[in-house]
Amino acid sequence: MRFTAVPRFSVQPILLGVGFALLVAIGVATVWLAEQSAADAKRVVATINVQAKLSDLLLNVRRAESGQRGYLLTGRQAYLSDYRDAAPTVETNLTELRAMMGDHSEGIPVLDQVAGLARAKMAELAKTVDLHDSGQIEAALATVQSDEGLKSMNALRVLVERMLRGEERVLLARSDASRSNDARLLTVTLAGLALIVLIGALSVFLVQRTFRQREAARNELAATNANLERIVAHRTADLTEANEEIQRFAYIVSHDLRSPLVNIMGFTTELEALRNDIFEEIAKLREQAGVAAAHADPREGSGAPADPLGADFDEAIAFIKTSITKMDRLINAVLKLSREGRRDFKPDDIDMNALLASIGQTVAHRASEQGATITVADLPPIMSDALALEQVFSNLVDNALKYGRQGEPGRIEITGRATPTQVTYEVRDNGRGIDPHDHQRVFELFRRSGPQDRPGEGIGLAHVRALVRRLGGTMSLTSELGKGSVFTVTLPRRWIGENRSVA
Amino acid sequence: MNPRMAEQPVTIIMIEDDEGHARLIEKNIRRAGVNNLIRPFANGSDAVKFLFGSDGTGAENKGNALLILLDLNLPDMSGVAILKRLKENEHLKRSPVVVLTTTDDAVEIQRCYDLGCNVYITKPVNYENFAHAIRQLGLFFTVIQVPAAI
Repeated sequence: MRFTAVPRFSVQPILLGVGFALLVAIGVATVWLAEQSAADAKRVVATINVQAKLSDLLLNVRRAESGQRGYLLTGRQAYLSDYRDAAPTVETNLTELRAMMGDHSEGIPVLDQVAGLARAKMAELAKTVDLHDSGQIEAALATVQSDEGLKSMNALRVLVERMLRGEERVLLARSDASRSNDARLLTVTLAGLALIVLIGALSVFLVQRTFRQREAARNELAATNANLERIVAHRTADLTEANEEIQRFAYIVSHDLRSPLVNIMGFTTELEALRNDIFEEIAKLREQAGVAAAHADPREGSGAPADPLGADFDEAIAFIKTSITKMDRLINAVLKLSREGRRDFKPDDIDMNALLASIGQTVAHRASEQGATITVADLPPIMSDALALEQVFSNLVDNALKYGRQGEPGRIEITGRATPTQVTYEVRDNGRGIDPHDHQRVFELFRRSGPQDRPGEGIGLAHVRALVRRLGGTMSLTSELGKGSVFTVTLPRRWIGENRSVA
Repeated sequence: MNPRMAEQPVTIIMIEDDEGHARLIEKNIRRAGVNNLIRPFANGSDAVKFLFGSDGTGAENKGNALLILLDLNLPDMSGVAILKRLKENEHLKRSPVVVLTTTDDAVEIQRCYDLGCNVYITKPVNYENFAHAIRQLGLFFTVIQVPAAI
């Protein structure tokens, strides 16, 4: 038998593992890249905030300057309050910028310059305002006219613009980084998806291939089974035929053997009937020959001579007749067996207790004469052929009674036990037992064991075994010479008519 | 005391392949005082030829009173086949057929009676019984009426 090899070591678990690992990798990469993205976005926001703050700073310095100029020109308090509002915010802006720019150090020196210029400017503004307040208006104006303020303001503006440009570059770079990060994220995700789809496809292909292989193997197995069944059916048919042939053969042989037996018996009897005539003739001839007929034939008392010839003749006839009778019994036994073999068995639910009770009644008289007791335990029921079982157990009980031990009251016990599929019955006796050499032989036709002091042909057990086999069961024997025997019959619990082929 | 028909003595047709059996049967029938003609046939073909004639219709035996002793196990054909043919033949169907055979198989016996055999006797192996049975049969032959073939 050849089976298509289904690979035991499948690549599918590996594929599954790879797919799973890829999913995890994609997940991890996505999370990482997303975090990168978030960080980039945060930095971009921070850069924009720095730009806004720088503009704010410049604006506040200008507000303070224009407030100062207005105050110096007009001396009105409204301008002074404008200046006073704006002046502190410059320092706040600077502190905030310092905090914001904490993370990128390249801007820090520039910021320091900006801070220096802004503070110097604010200090110049504060100085002129103080001069004006103390009444030295000319001195204050002179300070303004010195163009110091304009210069420092311009320097501040230039520096802030430079910083703004720097921040713009940083912003661009960060935006680029963020975009490329997103692109990487997309690429990784897409590539992962593509790989998973590929693995899925490969997996499906492999599963289909395995399925096809299994299907092929299954079909092959089914075909093999069918073939096997065909072979079994064929062999069973052969065996059944052979068995039937044997049955027919046994029947024909025993039947045809009877015909000549009738002749042998018939003509022997005819010969016996002629005996007296023959011996009378002999006596007459002897008389004629002058031999004295001294005494009469004791058997007939007819005046025929008592002759040793007569005795020999009678002996021969007696042997012939005994042998014929014996042969007749044997032929009848074979006929009976072959008829049993041809009888159709019918399955039936059998109450074994009732069956054994009825057998017990049949032999009750004989048993009580011998002082034997028959005990039947509670027996499990069975589905089988009632007549066959009746014959089986009749024979076994009969044998147990027949082969008791001298001077020992017979004890015959019948017990039974059931398994889910089989029922086992035992017939146990305390009789004379069977020599271990004969344990197989006793089941053979015309074979007997032990002293041949009981009537019988050696048919019973052969018949029993044939019946048990036909019922799909087995027989076994355990026995010890001089102790007793146990015949065990194991039968299918539910026999439904499938004859075993060989009886 | 002959088996009889008003005008015609009855002929006993004995179809028996075993010559010994035939001889023992004849002896014992004679012992019962039957003196009719006994025609022995040792095989089926000869018996069929005699019974049904050369044309196979049985017309040749018209008017003959026949009593047929039939063994079932014949070397060349089955006795059952002869029985069937006899009972289906318009001329011979009324001739009594005594099946005398070794078979005591219940199915076989039923079949023979179904086919119209008049008496079925199993040959006993024990010769005393055999001789007794045949003599009884002989006595039976002396009292029964046998119609002529039509």
